[in-house]
Amino acid sequence: MTRQSPIVRVIARFAVPLSVLVAVRIFLQGHDEPGGGFIAGVLLAAAGAMYMIAFGTRHAARVSWWRIGVVGLLLSVGTGTVPFVRGEAYMDNTILHLGSYHLPTATFFDLGVMLIVLGTLMTIFVELSMERR
Amino acid sequence: MLNPGVLLPVSICLPFVAALVIVLLGRAGGHGSGWLVLAAALGSVAALVPAASPGEIHVFEAPWLPAAGVQLSFHADGFGLLLAFIVAGVGALVALYSLGYMSGEDAAKVRRFYAALAAFMGAMLGIALADDLILLFVFWEITSVASFLLIGHRFENDDAKAGALTALQVTALGGLAMSVGFLLMGQVTGTFSISRIGGSPELVAGLLHSPLGTAALVLVLLGAFTKSAQVPFHFWLARAMVAPTPVSAYLHAATMVKAGVFLLGRMHPIFGAAPLWAPILVVVGTVSMVLGAYQAFRETDLKAILARTTASTLGLITLLYGLGATSEDSLQILNHTLYKGALFLVAGIVEHHAQTRKLAELGGLRRALPITFLACVIASLSMAGIPPLFGFVAKDSFYAEVLGAAYLVDRPLLQGAVLLASLATSAFLVAVAGKLTLGVFLGPVHQRQHDEHRSSGLALWPSPVLLAAGALALGLASLGHFTSDLVTATASGRGAEVHVYLLPPLGTPFYTSLLALVLGVLVYLRRDAVGALQERLAMLPSAADLWERLMTTTVRLAETYSRRWQNGSLRWYLSATVLTLPVLCAYALYAGGLSGRNVIVNLADMPWYGLLFCILLAIATMAAVQARTRLAAAIATTAIGFLVSMLFVVYRSPDILLTQVLIETVSTIFVLLVLVFLPPFRRHDMPAISRLVNVGISAAFGLTITLLLLLSMTPGLREPDNISVRPGGLLSLALAEGGGRNAVNVIIVDIRAMDTNGEITVLVAVGLCIYGLLRSRRTPSEPGQVQRPDGGGGPA
Repeated sequence: MTRQSPIVRVIARFAVPLSVLVAVRIFLQGHDEPGGGFIAGVLLAAAGAMYMIAFGTRHAARVSWWRIGVVGLLLSVGTGTVPFVRGEAYMDNTILHLGSYHLPTATFFDLGVMLIVLGTLMTIFVELSMERR
Repeated sequence: MLNPGVLLPVSICLPFVAALVIVLLGRAGGHGSGWLVLAAALGSVAALVPAASPGEIHVFEAPWLPAAGVQLSFHADGFGLLLAFIVAGVGALVALYSLGYMSGEDAAKVRRFYAALAAFMGAMLGIALADDLILLFVFWEITSVASFLLIGHRFENDDAKAGALTALQVTALGGLAMSVGFLLMGQVTGTFSISRIGGSPELVAGLLHSPLGTAALVLVLLGAFTKSAQVPFHFWLARAMVAPTPVSAYLHAATMVKAGVFLLGRMHPIFGAAPLWAPILVVVGTVSMVLGAYQAFRETDLKAILARTTASTLGLITLLYGLGATSEDSLQILNHTLYKGALFLVAGIVEHHAQTRKLAELGGLRRALPITFLACVIASLSMAGIPPLFGFVAKDSFYAEVLGAAYLVDRPLLQGAVLLASLATSAFLVAVAGKLTLGVFLGPVHQRQHDEHRSSGLALWPSPVLLAAGALALGLASLGHFTSDLVTATASGRGAEVHVYLLPPLGTPFYTSLLALVLGVLVYLRRDAVGALQERLAMLPSAADLWERLMTTTVRLAETYSRRWQNGSLRWYLSATVLTLPVLCAYALYAGGLSGRNVIVNLADMPWYGLLFCILLAIATMAAVQARTRLAAAIATTAIGFLVSMLFVVYRSPDILLTQVLIETVSTIFVLLVLVFLPPFRRHDMPAISRLVNVGISAAFGLTITLLLLLSMTPGLREPDNISVRPGGLLSLALAEGGGRNAVNVIIVDIRAMDTNGEITVLVAVGLCIYGLLRSRRTPSEPGQVQRPDGGGGPA
């Protein structure tokens, strides 16, 4: 992708960080409100695509995105394995109580989902944008 | 004190951990990986020792997939422990041997070899100890895959590739059949636990009386026969001899092929009384036994000879199971492991020294390899069944069984045939043992002398010497009661006291055994005449050729099918997909008694702007169909997507709205990215009749989907209980179990996490495939560009 007009770049400079923030928020609220790992991952990938459109693929191509997907898969599967090792069923999630705050272990699973969606979509974007006719 | 049962999974995991470490270490491992395998094997032995207390079965059980009734359950009974000790013990010896044997090879390949060997060892330990059928199947398949990798170790060689592929095809086919058999067993009995089925007369009776039980028996036997290279699947074993010799010794003599007969031993308490059990096993076992020995005599390659005799001995064990002789199966298994493992390792030393395995090119090696010669003599004597070796004890006990088994005594004709086959087998084995020892080590020196010695790496002789010494020691120990006790404790059929003798009572079994020995010496002395006779009989079609033909036909069928149905025309795929859906749905609706009359549409709460969006949607759809360029079509399609998401605003469903908008955005980016690579857009002119057909398909699809959607919104047809906040409903479940109020998300990440697990795995696989495909397409055309390991090889 070639470099875009200044207007696009200026907008992207604000919109990309904003999207990332929104994605974080969407991810965190996912358990109780609309949102979750999948949506957050798609939003992050959309932010990544916006970044690539504005500033070219060079920076984005430096990250090895597929690895992020694999890390996400390891995280998700690892989350499911913890209860298994402790003698419960595989993927039998529990809720951790940290003082007055509760943290379902499914959150880590969801984080893995987010990384997988982000990694896979960005892999596709980067690889396709590096194709030549 | 620690319960020894807990150590069972530890001993299984150790080799797997070793395999993982070898893979992760990468270049840092190299040839030293072998020490890791050795350490893992010794660790597994150590972990098994506490469980080996006679009279007590240590157990480890943990839920695995409780919803499917599958358990991680390991039982350390004598029979399982026997195989487990063989696997870990011989595994240690083979790892030790490999440290010397593989020292001349490329470090990267050696690493892969050790990783596969360790994984195989872990899987075999799993087979030995698993009590759950599904668990057993999983380990079974791992051994198939690991053996594929090990046989195909020298993959630059076409023979190695073909041999590995044949082995995988045959054993995987058997494994598939076996898995269906296991599922049927679970279906009929309601449990996958081997010990629970075998321990309950009611469950066994229910299984045997059910027609599904018979099917299960046949399928499970297929699995056992393919793994143990029984007729008609015996050919893969000889082809697998392209594997490095430690692999042949370990997989194709000591362990993997034993898995088949081991399964027979495990299944005997369950299926032993089935009417089909004895006839199938006796016939298959006898034929395999005599055919293997016959073919072994014909082969000219050291390892091929050993492979054929292995198939023969496995046939003998199958025959014994057919006769119900489960109280001394461990005797035969242990005997074969000791002498055959030693012989294979000897063959490896001979090959290393002489650079050939052809019998005709070998001779007079006793001076160059004195210790190996000694090991070979002991092992061969054991194979021939000559006192005071363990093989003699085993042979004597076998003849006692053939002459005394109730099944055969009732059928004198069959008994005669089996006895004849046994005599022929023993005779051929004696002759083969003679050929191996006398032909290779005595006589004039045939082979070229090799000055360059493989000095690197460890000496090879300790492992075969130890195995041969085991054969001698167990033979001598039969003088006392040690061997009898060992056999009694490790037999699959529990309860019966077994007595084995080095000095057997004089009787028919002893004389028969003696007769076999005399016959064998005769065959050896007249070996040229017998060989010439075999040549003349060689025009029969071989099973290997038949299998080859079957595989070619399968491939040709698949090609024909693909050319017809997978013809590459997107339009054809689309029509097929779009037509299948309404047909299936229409059938489901018809079967459920639903039609357009059940639809109740309530448009009262539709605001005016909702209607506006609908009109815009219709316009966008028509624009998409009528578009003259791809870009216009893409824009119109995107518009459809966003307009649909506006409808979610109208109906106030923010989570679907969020998803729809983001997915729409991302797919638009995707379309824009691929747009430039697509061929020019052109409209197809087609005859009026095709046009009509297409209109018909589209209309059917549209109408069915519309009807489905309307029905799904019709009150009274939904099941409201399922999603209610009442106890048992998904909403209350979400709050109670997942601690979240967003039920959809809690279902995805918690309640149905297994489903999501599968989906995300697919997603990652798709990402990796796209990455690999696009990279591999791009790299050759850009020779100047070096792929960086971090995956960032983009254009600078």
